[in-house]
Amino acid sequence: MAAEQPIIHIEHIAKVYTMGGEKLYALRDVSLDISPNEYVAIMGPSGSGKSTLMNILGCLDTPSSGIYQFNGLDVRSMSDNELAEIRNKEIGFVFQTFNLLARASSVKNVELPLVYSGVKRAERRERAEQVMHSVGLGDRMEHKPNELSGGQRQRVAIARALITNPAIILADEPTGNLDSKTGKDIMRLFYNLWQSGNTIILVTHEEDIARHARRIIRIRDGCVESDLPNEENEASYSEAI
Amino acid sequence: MKISEITESARFAYESLNSNKLRSLLTTLGVVIGIVFVILMGWLLSGLDAALEKTVNVIGTDMLYVDKWNWSGGKNWRDYESRKDINLAQATEFCRRVTTPEVAMPIAQKWGAKIQFKNQSISGISVQGVPAEYVLTPGGAVTDGRFFSKSEERFGADVAVVGYNVANTLFPDGDALGKEIKIRGHKFEIIGVVEKRGTFIMDFIDNQTFIPLQTFLGIYGTSGRSLSIAIKAGNEENLANARSEAIGLMRQIRNNQPGQPDDFSINESQMFREEINSLRMSTWGVGIGLVSLSFFVGIIGITNIMFVSVTERTKEIGIRKALGAKRGAIMLQFLMEAAALCFVGAVIAFAFCSTVIAVVVKVFFSDSDYLSSYVPPQLLLTASVVSIIVGILAGLMPALRAARMKPIDALRYE
Repeated sequence: MAAEQPIIHIEHIAKVYTMGGEKLYALRDVSLDISPNEYVAIMGPSGSGKSTLMNILGCLDTPSSGIYQFNGLDVRSMSDNELAEIRNKEIGFVFQTFNLLARASSVKNVELPLVYSGVKRAERRERAEQVMHSVGLGDRMEHKPNELSGGQRQRVAIARALITNPAIILADEPTGNLDSKTGKDIMRLFYNLWQSGNTIILVTHEEDIARHARRIIRIRDGCVESDLPNEENEASYSEAI
Repeated sequence: MKISEITESARFAYESLNSNKLRSLLTTLGVVIGIVFVILMGWLLSGLDAALEKTVNVIGTDMLYVDKWNWSGGKNWRDYESRKDINLAQATEFCRRVTTPEVAMPIAQKWGAKIQFKNQSISGISVQGVPAEYVLTPGGAVTDGRFFSKSEERFGADVAVVGYNVANTLFPDGDALGKEIKIRGHKFEIIGVVEKRGTFIMDFIDNQTFIPLQTFLGIYGTSGRSLSIAIKAGNEENLANARSEAIGLMRQIRNNQPGQPDDFSINESQMFREEINSLRMSTWGVGIGLVSLSFFVGIIGITNIMFVSVTERTKEIGIRKALGAKRGAIMLQFLMEAAALCFVGAVIAFAFCSTVIAVVVKVFFSDSDYLSSYVPPQLLLTASVVSIIVGILAGLMPALRAARMKPIDALRYE
């Protein structure tokens, strides 16, 4: 039973903003479960609410109503600091704009989540170097973000997301700022991560990118439009990769 | 709070200051001024204390002086004025009968005397007629030559022991010994020079000049003159006993009736503590005013720049929060930045004060032995602690704002 438990369980969540006395629904009614080692793409045009959904899934924001359970824990009743702890230990973020600290070297950027979980310096460095090697940046440890290419920066961000061995990796338009060849490299990296047992949630508006996932959830006007497995070409896809 | 977060915060503070050197420097100016006042005030007060200690030692911590006048005087001036003089007979009787102290002796003095050497003269001198035992009191500390002997006193020899200032003014070359000076037309041979004892509290003390009591009485006469009695208790433990014996004996000699107040005063070195304390209070008053004013200005400046720093780093705060930084961690980062800013101010202030104090002492107070020419080390600690507290106060509001930011809003900030 415990093994069957989804990592993410959301039920009828909504997110409402009040602007000038008027209620704006970013999310109206979304329910879904995500289980360990799934590779999910959340798709939708801009304004569909997919970013809001991602922020809620990532515990960066809280829903206005509904149920959100992360590993069986009720997220809505958590304090700021408890949410920070979930983000720190259970979620690895990969952003479209990388969101690296400009003044810190790549290895320092990768170490950062471990700083907030209290891991000692030597162990931090060792683990960061390991992850950097695994994303192919073993020779870029001391480079600052502005000394790296876009693809390399995104690899640093992925390394940073991986370093805490999170329950899910949440990627928001991870190829949005990259050229198509670099984008492909990054997607291959995600594929390998999934193959080695990670759970990946990809938020995108590009069909090409979404097709890499094994399950595609389409969002429109704050509701789930469709939620289907993507079985079209797994065999050929993995060959192509 | 995790150690890794603390070291990270320190790094953060350093980077922030380092990347905005000029801005940090200008911001910290208010704090620099505040700390400068703290240090200068502390330095002055420690100078005051040293001067007090020296003064107390000059008078002697185990010394009592029975006098018509009360040294701390002031309000009851007329009461003292109306007291009968302490005459030679009373003083002599007292010294003969007293048993508790090590030694007691009569002293006669003449204020505003003039000393001549050839065609030079120095006025405003206090000429003291003292017995040979005076050498046992702090006032008898001769650096050059000797004090006069018992037989010189008895025969009323024309010898003088001059104060440091007298010797220095009339004989700048330091060859006062053996010279013949004139006091009220009488010739005296200088046989000793008293060591420098005065501070700004008692600078007149170096103008004292001592001659044998008999000689003094011969020149100035005994009438219309109130004598003092100097009592050396021997040690501070004996001071209270000596004091009560002196009061009892003096009342007896002066024929004070029971219920009648003493018609004399017992003066001692402790009285100078009161004078110093009022000086200390006014120094504190001025100092505290200036310090609070400049810290107020300094805190406003730093709070302001910290708000700017928080706004500039909104995105970074968002990233850190997304990666799991808790409120306390963000708070600590900005508090440390503000504290570091102020600490830099303290360092600058310290360097500035060290230079100023060294120069001022060298140029204006080179012969002072109570004003130190460096910043007392405990002030360094005080200044550092104060600066860090000021920094934390100044950083509190901006740090709270940063800590309370919603991660999603901070991340979206461009």
